[in-house]
Amino acid sequence: MKKLFLVPILFLILACQEEGSLTQGADTIVIVPDAMLEYSGTFAPTSGINVTGEAKIYLENGLYKVQLENFSVSGGPDLKVYLSKAATPTVFVNLGNLTSQTIYPVPASVNVADYSHVLIHCQQYNHLFAIAPLTQN
Amino acid sequence: MAQGCSDAGICSINHGFQTEEKQFKNTLEVATIYSLGEADVTYFSPYVSYTKRFNDRYSFTSKVTFSTANGSFGTRSQFGDAYLVGNYTFKEKPNKQWSTLVGLKFPFTASNLKINGYSLPLDYQSSLGTIDLFMGTNLHYKKWDFNGIVQIPVINLNKNSYFREFGGTDDFASTNLFERKPDALLRATYSIQTPNKKFTFKPNVLFIYHLGEDTYENIFSQRESIKGSDGLTVNGNLITNYRLNKQSSLELSLATPFVVRDIRADGLTRSIVAGIQYQYSF
Repeated sequence: MKKLFLVPILFLILACQEEGSLTQGADTIVIVPDAMLEYSGTFAPTSGINVTGEAKIYLENGLYKVQLENFSVSGGPDLKVYLSKAATPTVFVNLGNLTSQTIYPVPASVNVADYSHVLIHCQQYNHLFAIAPLTQN
Repeated sequence: MAQGCSDAGICSINHGFQTEEKQFKNTLEVATIYSLGEADVTYFSPYVSYTKRFNDRYSFTSKVTFSTANGSFGTRSQFGDAYLVGNYTFKEKPNKQWSTLVGLKFPFTASNLKINGYSLPLDYQSSLGTIDLFMGTNLHYKKWDFNGIVQIPVINLNKNSYFREFGGTDDFASTNLFERKPDALLRATYSIQTPNKKFTFKPNVLFIYHLGEDTYENIFSQRESIKGSDGLTVNGNLITNYRLNKQSSLELSLATPFVVRDIRADGLTRSIVAGIQYQYSF
């Protein structure tokens, strides 16, 4: 029976990772002081999740950037930042993994006015964590 | 092996056909494979397998794989897949013998291993994240073996989240929520044994056809086909087997592809594969 406990330990020992040049940390993305605040919204959690903070969308030199301000959320295995057309992740733009980075550039081809929410979503387990309905500033 | 089949499995699954050591009921096999992939990725992929022969007709093989991938994204190690394969060997006729196999492959991961929170391309994943069905047949004719196998992903558990847009390199295709199409393999092997029966050389050629274009979900939540991900791979493989004694043998395998698909988003991009295997029967 004791040997059974060794199996998950073996997994942990062998399942190692070491960062490389492409995973050492993103270049810091900034929002310049004269960027225009276009949209903002406060995050609300879904059931069983804790979240605080706001989503703000700035326009800077013709490009939009989403900033998560004073943001914290319950941990999840595969959290993504979505710019979504609804409060549920059905039609959305995936802005990337939720990391320590707080600013997420929006692709130039996206018409931000068509999108009404910023979502924090666990893609791997298809579980919505937090919803920020956007209002125009 | 050279398609990167240590991951997909179709190339090494034909070991299930091999029933030379019929006098022993059990065979243990340990192996390690070193291979070079696309961009700067290198692989170290050991596995262990166990075969139980119930009688001259039926045998059963189980196998567990492990993989370490190393490159610009870093190093990622994890268990890959578990294989369960059943083999039936038909009654031998003069100069020829047929056998068949049916097997399943179960992934240990959802193909979404990360490093430092960064999503990794499939080239760095230890499994493709699918439950696959294998069905195959082998004709042993004189010194030849001809086998055909299909590998069908029956349940897709792949949750990969790699996007080229966020990857920091153009070396790898986007594979977010990747969906894989089946593969079909044809292999011809010729066996040459030295007079003292110590060495057996098995040059073989593998034709693998990827039966359709794989798909992924793009950043706009739309499913997209990966153009050029279907088609033919042709591999050459030389196996050298050295019989240590009645119960054990060592095997060296070298493989390389001659024809590859235009796009191999599934990460099966090995350019050269070298494997060494120890087999013990009891």
